[in-house]
Amino acid sequence: MSIIAHADDDAITLLERMNVAAKQLNYEGVFSYQAGKKMQSIRIIHRANQQGEIERLISLNGVAREVIRNNEMMTCIYPEGKSVQPNHRPLGGGFPSDFLNRMSLASPYYLLSLGQEERIAGHHTQELKVMPVDNYRYGYHLWVDKDSDLLLQSDLVDEQGKVLETFAFSSIDMGRDIPDQSLQAQMQGNEMTWNRAEHIMNTKVSANKAKSSWQIMWMPAGFTLMAQQNRLKAKNGASIEQHVYSDGLNSISIFIEKIRAQHRHLRGGSTMGATNAYGTIINSHFVTIVGEVPADTVEKVGNSIQYVERK
Amino acid sequence: MTVNQNELLSALVDGELKGNELEQALQLLSTSDIAKVQFQRHQFVSDVLHGYVSQNRSVDLTGRITDALLDEPAILLTTKRKALVIPFPTHLWKHATGLALAASVGAMAVMGVMNQPQNQLIPVTPVASIESPAQPMIVAQTGNRWTVGEQEVEDRLNTYLVNHSEYAGASSVFSYARVVSYDAGQ
Repeated sequence: MSIIAHADDDAITLLERMNVAAKQLNYEGVFSYQAGKKMQSIRIIHRANQQGEIERLISLNGVAREVIRNNEMMTCIYPEGKSVQPNHRPLGGGFPSDFLNRMSLASPYYLLSLGQEERIAGHHTQELKVMPVDNYRYGYHLWVDKDSDLLLQSDLVDEQGKVLETFAFSSIDMGRDIPDQSLQAQMQGNEMTWNRAEHIMNTKVSANKAKSSWQIMWMPAGFTLMAQQNRLKAKNGASIEQHVYSDGLNSISIFIEKIRAQHRHLRGGSTMGATNAYGTIINSHFVTIVGEVPADTVEKVGNSIQYVERK
Repeated sequence: MTVNQNELLSALVDGELKGNELEQALQLLSTSDIAKVQFQRHQFVSDVLHGYVSQNRSVDLTGRITDALLDEPAILLTTKRKALVIPFPTHLWKHATGLALAASVGAMAVMGVMNQPQNQLIPVTPVASIESPAQPMIVAQTGNRWTVGEQEVEDRLNTYLVNHSEYAGASSVFSYARVVSYDAGQ
């Protein structure tokens, strides 16, 4: 039985090659991210070598912001007045795009097929359609460079085929050596400042393999538990429990943190692009479900969560 | 912005820049708001040319027109003149695209308004609150900011978003784009 039952072999092969390319190639380019009426341009620089992967993303319009990540750490550099937020990867080893390993978790809930050939950012691409077989998850239209196998455009689509988010390269340069300097944050002008000394977070994340007091009674078919951990919130040291479920293509996170006095929390649903969140309060805890899945899915997951008193 | 700078941005969208020219274009984008706007226009036109926009979906400009009219004086909202917010019809869009690709998106939007039959507008209805007609959109209208009203809640959701992004979906090359671009248009 194939990893994804409803798929042609060429499509699966292309999907696998796409994810290998994303991890192994050096590339530098500009892509747009569009969600709703907003379209942002982002510069991306990605280097892979014996030391592993390192990647830098720079917002080119609107609020200046950078994200730098490597195998061990991800750092958000926010505009003046906000914090620099280093975030140690809890599981270590490999980028989140560790797709091939996750594919082994996948189950037959997607239809994979090859679409049209198109030209994107000056490259000839092959379209790959990944469509869910139920309404609990989203699908993708992916355009993969025929020469390098790198993903050049990704449309995330809902069950009606409506595009919720688009990432698309407008220019890209592959295969060049990328110097260290290109991967270092460069704060210039008055628009953005480092606040590392003042705001650095002593984030400490440790794997929490102890049994949780929380039970998730419902998940869409095919979603299995990938990770469970406790994060320490930098500002107040509060513990946030995170459970991550994935069907191999999409993922859902459940965040649980104890209510503190006068804190406000999401009650009900919220949306950001194709990411949906649903918040509720259970047993004096904020419980929030976040995922690139439909709003109904995060709500249903949220309403299924139960607190179980541990003895 | 000079003609050369404009051409530089156009070349950037087309992926024709390398080396110093690429650096020059990115520097321009990082320092000039006008350049950013112009870059987006070039990118939009490029998308139309390549068929990314027109395939299986038409362009909805009513949101942009509505946004533009938000700043108009209240007198526009209280007159009994006919509708100001009108969808740009697909067939006109295609026609306009073929004839006037060099024109700005805004100019084409005006053309669409002028050619469209007008509807009655309820006098006291704010223009901004008029619902766009049922028409396929480029993307859903949720935007890149959480739909919440309180900063504390938004901050908490952003923290969750960063943590969740470690487990990106199929478009993993772009997984942190949501984080780096969050609120960028505000």
